[in-house]
Amino acid sequence: MTPLLWRALLKHSLRHPWQLALAILGIALGVAVVLAVDLANASARRGFELTMNRVTGRATHQITGGPQGVPEAFYRHLRVERGIQQIAPVVTGYLPRADRPGHLFQILGVDPFAEGPFRAAAADPTGKDFDLRSLLLDPDAALLPGALGDHLTLQRGENRFILKRAGTLEGSELNGLIIADISTAQVLLGYAGRLSHIDVILPDGPAGERRADELRARLIDGLRLERSDMRNQATADLSAAFSLNLLAMSLLALVVGAFLIYNAISFAVVQRRGLLGILRALGVSRREIFAGILGEALLLGLAGSLLGSLLGVWIGSGLIHLVTRTINDFYYVLNVRDFLIDPWSLAKGVALGLTATLVAAWLPAREAAAVAPGAAMSRAHLETRWQLALPRLIAAGLLLFAGGGAVLWLSRSLAYGFVGLFLVIFGLALLTPPIIVGWVRLNRPLVARRGLLARMANRDVARHLSRTGIAVAALMVAFATTVGVGVMVDSFRGGVAIWIHDLLNADLYLAPPATGGDHGAESLRPATLAALRAAPGVAAVSTYRRATIDFRGRPVQLIAADLAPAAQRGYRLIAGDPAVAWRAFQTGESVLITEPLAYRQRLNAGDTLELATAAGPHRFAIAGVYLDYGSEHGRILIHRSAYERYWRDSNVSSAAAFAVEGADLTALGEHLQDRLGAIQPVMLRPNRDLQARTLEIFDRTFTITNVLRLLAILVSVVGVLSALSALQLERAREFAVLRAIGMRPGEIGALVSLQTGFMGAVAGLLAIPTGLVLALVLIFVINRRAFGWSLPFQVSVGLLAETVALATAAALLAGVYPIWRMSRARPAEALRTD
Amino acid sequence: MLKRARWLVGLLLATALLGATAYRFWPRPQAAESVAVRSALSGPDDAGYRRAYAPQPFHFPSDHGPHPDFRTEWWYVTGNLSAAGGRPFGYQLTLFRIALAPTPPPADSAWRGHQVYMGHFALTDVTGKQFHAFERFSRGALGLAGARAAPFRVWLEDWALSGTENDVFPLRVQARQEGVALDLTLTAAKPLVLQGDRGLSQKSAAPGNASYYYSYTRLPTRGTIRLGEKTFEVSGASWLDREWSTSALGPEQSGWDWFALQLDDGRELMFYRMRRKDGGADSYSKGVLVGADGQSRPLSQAEIELQPLGQWRSPASGDRYPAGWRLRLPAENLELTVTPKLADQELRLTVRYWEGAVTVSGRSGDQPISGQGYLEMTRYETPIRP
Repeated sequence: MTPLLWRALLKHSLRHPWQLALAILGIALGVAVVLAVDLANASARRGFELTMNRVTGRATHQITGGPQGVPEAFYRHLRVERGIQQIAPVVTGYLPRADRPGHLFQILGVDPFAEGPFRAAAADPTGKDFDLRSLLLDPDAALLPGALGDHLTLQRGENRFILKRAGTLEGSELNGLIIADISTAQVLLGYAGRLSHIDVILPDGPAGERRADELRARLIDGLRLERSDMRNQATADLSAAFSLNLLAMSLLALVVGAFLIYNAISFAVVQRRGLLGILRALGVSRREIFAGILGEALLLGLAGSLLGSLLGVWIGSGLIHLVTRTINDFYYVLNVRDFLIDPWSLAKGVALGLTATLVAAWLPAREAAAVAPGAAMSRAHLETRWQLALPRLIAAGLLLFAGGGAVLWLSRSLAYGFVGLFLVIFGLALLTPPIIVGWVRLNRPLVARRGLLARMANRDVARHLSRTGIAVAALMVAFATTVGVGVMVDSFRGGVAIWIHDLLNADLYLAPPATGGDHGAESLRPATLAALRAAPGVAAVSTYRRATIDFRGRPVQLIAADLAPAAQRGYRLIAGDPAVAWRAFQTGESVLITEPLAYRQRLNAGDTLELATAAGPHRFAIAGVYLDYGSEHGRILIHRSAYERYWRDSNVSSAAAFAVEGADLTALGEHLQDRLGAIQPVMLRPNRDLQARTLEIFDRTFTITNVLRLLAILVSVVGVLSALSALQLERAREFAVLRAIGMRPGEIGALVSLQTGFMGAVAGLLAIPTGLVLALVLIFVINRRAFGWSLPFQVSVGLLAETVALATAAALLAGVYPIWRMSRARPAEALRTD
Repeated sequence: MLKRARWLVGLLLATALLGATAYRFWPRPQAAESVAVRSALSGPDDAGYRRAYAPQPFHFPSDHGPHPDFRTEWWYVTGNLSAAGGRPFGYQLTLFRIALAPTPPPADSAWRGHQVYMGHFALTDVTGKQFHAFERFSRGALGLAGARAAPFRVWLEDWALSGTENDVFPLRVQARQEGVALDLTLTAAKPLVLQGDRGLSQKSAAPGNASYYYSYTRLPTRGTIRLGEKTFEVSGASWLDREWSTSALGPEQSGWDWFALQLDDGRELMFYRMRRKDGGADSYSKGVLVGADGQSRPLSQAEIELQPLGQWRSPASGDRYPAGWRLRLPAENLELTVTPKLADQELRLTVRYWEGAVTVSGRSGDQPISGQGYLEMTRYETPIRP
């Protein structure tokens, strides 16, 4: 390429710095959002892997039991009677800090003498403070993370434990971990006589298979041998779906960024048609022009991508806390202290930005190369071509839309769900220019009587379709994203609110004091329950026992319930006849399962499922499937009598009381608190409290989604500003002519405002149907595939109105600078050759 | 008695165990280990443990069982066996009990306990020129490891010494690991021998630096040895040492060489030589000579002349050990040459030492004499650079 060409192109850009800046900002924002989410995800994933590796160590398998864990005597049996080496006992669970109840630590109880082959790298207390004797003998000794002081107070139920340091765990990924001797961990976690599991190392290959089979043959009822990596995988899979969801949303931001690039480049081409014509006349070849424009775009893209990388790192370091918090609320306790700036993520971000730029600049560059030597200074030819291309645009748009629909319909995987989603959105974006033309035509009778200005404003939008079409399409996609995500979150929240309201329909809920979620082993005593049942004012009582069991290699919550008839009405069955299902449930031989479990495992009412019980494998019939948003891993509801029989566990985790008609709930609560508190410390909470708490967690979870949505809105607003103001600035000459023939600045200002306002409104209005389609896909395809639950479709009119208003306002704002500039320009100067 | 005081004199053992387990659990640079062991040796806290100050009567079978008030205790079995056709084997199975504290911790969990067991299991395959050595640790809780007098049993997982209701003998010795296994039955050909002064074995000058120590010096043995896929019917003779103490070595002592020799004329000779840091032989070195009739007489350091023969350098550790010994007992007109059946019988475990099967040849008066036995040599490590 000739230096002349470069200089010519460059000079133009430098003379329009705002244009340059807006194009760079567009791509930068797109890249930044994608990168931020990617970095936050990568950091969370790395934190997960590091913690898992340290905790699982080199164990290849685990021997696990049901809710009661593994009897410690079985470990002794394997070691002493069977002479099996390369096994290690583990007692693990979570306890909150006494002074910060939401802050959970994982307690890892191990036998240091059995640990050698397992977690040699797990902990590395190289400090001089490591004291093995103390660790073994002192009931309060533990290896604490370096970040803590020498003492740590934990709480389980009404018990407080003050731990003292017997060594230091180095490594920030271990900040949520406490290693103690197995005896200490048993006391801390209330795990007397039991182990959480037994870690096993088996060799690879056939020898290992044989050993695994031998070991399996020796297991007592209720115990299973399974691969460690599969257990970790099951946990990681679910959070992967969560990460993918975030990433896809961030990609939408990049799509908008690409539209902005396209807009900026094609705009620059149009502005320079004269220059390009002259260059061609001077002997610059088409290919050189094409390369020149593309090169220029790549420079912009590179600048934008680099800027976006910086921005992305900054945003990502903020997002990591949100990602971690969500994972902690819903998946497992994860401690991510390090924000990891993964070079690979950075490279991906830049590559994505450049690719988007290249794709977006391709058409404008071809357009530029097509300029005939010394050609027309006007855009008339181009606009005509656009008009002629409308039918093809419509066809392509419909085709993409239909193709996307087909992909969504035919596929089952989450990834294809996103492919379909993007095809549908592209299709709708392509349909935008034809819709604008149609709209302008529809407007004609409307503006006919409003004077010249209105007619001009209206016609101009269609006449400048090569600019306005793309700009409006870009804005439409941007706002549609915010609509789609907003509707999805609203629907989700609505569904959860109804579900929790139905499910928690008893008046008072009763549990031992908080033990850190489901992890604790506290139980309501029989005497407490008897007193509750006998209390005057209590009409009926339900009891629950929550335990995590393995089902087909995945952790699933087993809920053993003795339900009052009123409590049964709180479950919404989406498969199975309620009357029949509940009768079958009462027998204990049938269970109810939640929708995510049914979806994931392709189970339905009428099927059977095999559960590993303490009495060996047992097959239960599925009486029904019920709606539940409580666990995406899935839940199995079983009758208490069957649970006690098959799992030999009579613990009760919580209870619910229905008051007699017309009872004073406050008085009843106080009475029960006194009466039951005398037997055992309990927490009594009215249903409203629990419902509110559930929604609180929900809102916290979706904070990150809302942040992404805000970012998308930001990109959209910047898009509106850049695209529309560029469009108007380009028309400086045109406005000068209008001024010269007597139009007042105010009138031109009105013209500009009418046009940008109209385009903003059109983008906002078109964003509504597109956004709703997006929401439908997110709700009925993406969420279902990722998490397995169905959501109601709820649209808030406020959200839609807000979108249109925001788009219009941003568009009006976009006119301000051009109007100001134009009002200051002297027409004679503007009319001089540019 | 340092006898076998075997290196494992109480303190060293306990501290080495603790230090070493820590290193196994949490690896550190190698040099640090010896440093930690040495530092542990220099400042032991024996307060609260019982100590061996004076001879006292033994009560059996209860004294075959554990003495948890003392810091350290061991059941030490070695023996020379041969398979049909004469293929020779040597074996060692030692179970150590080490107290982490003089008093038990709170009984809040079945896993909690203040006793720890360490086991060493070695098999010398002379013909195959292979030496196999294994080590284990376990807490003495939950039944994973433990010791009791009646019925007699000491075990560390599936390594075990088990007797009968009222006696140690016939004693069954079982151990297996990684394709090496033995299952032997030992009977007593002679009564037990009290070492030192009526069973009190003074190890160094300070009062209480002593152990209670007795031995069974000749135990006819039958059973099987398994090596990989091959099983051998074996027979021969074993030796059992029992010793418990709280402290033993004095600060001037550096290591020891210990001989347990079974002569073909029916006599056994035990002698340990304490080495001093200044290079001299320590006056607390001593031994015992057991006659064919079971009568024994103590041997003092002055009665025995010991001379190392050559040197063997361990290719794995770099330590240099004597490659054999000449042992003379002029009073009995006895002159013996002790030769390892295999040069490399170094146990490279938490504590590194050489212990292995040996051949004995020489003369008693004018008569040629032969025999076999076990030799232990400790603390020949290359000095650590500062």
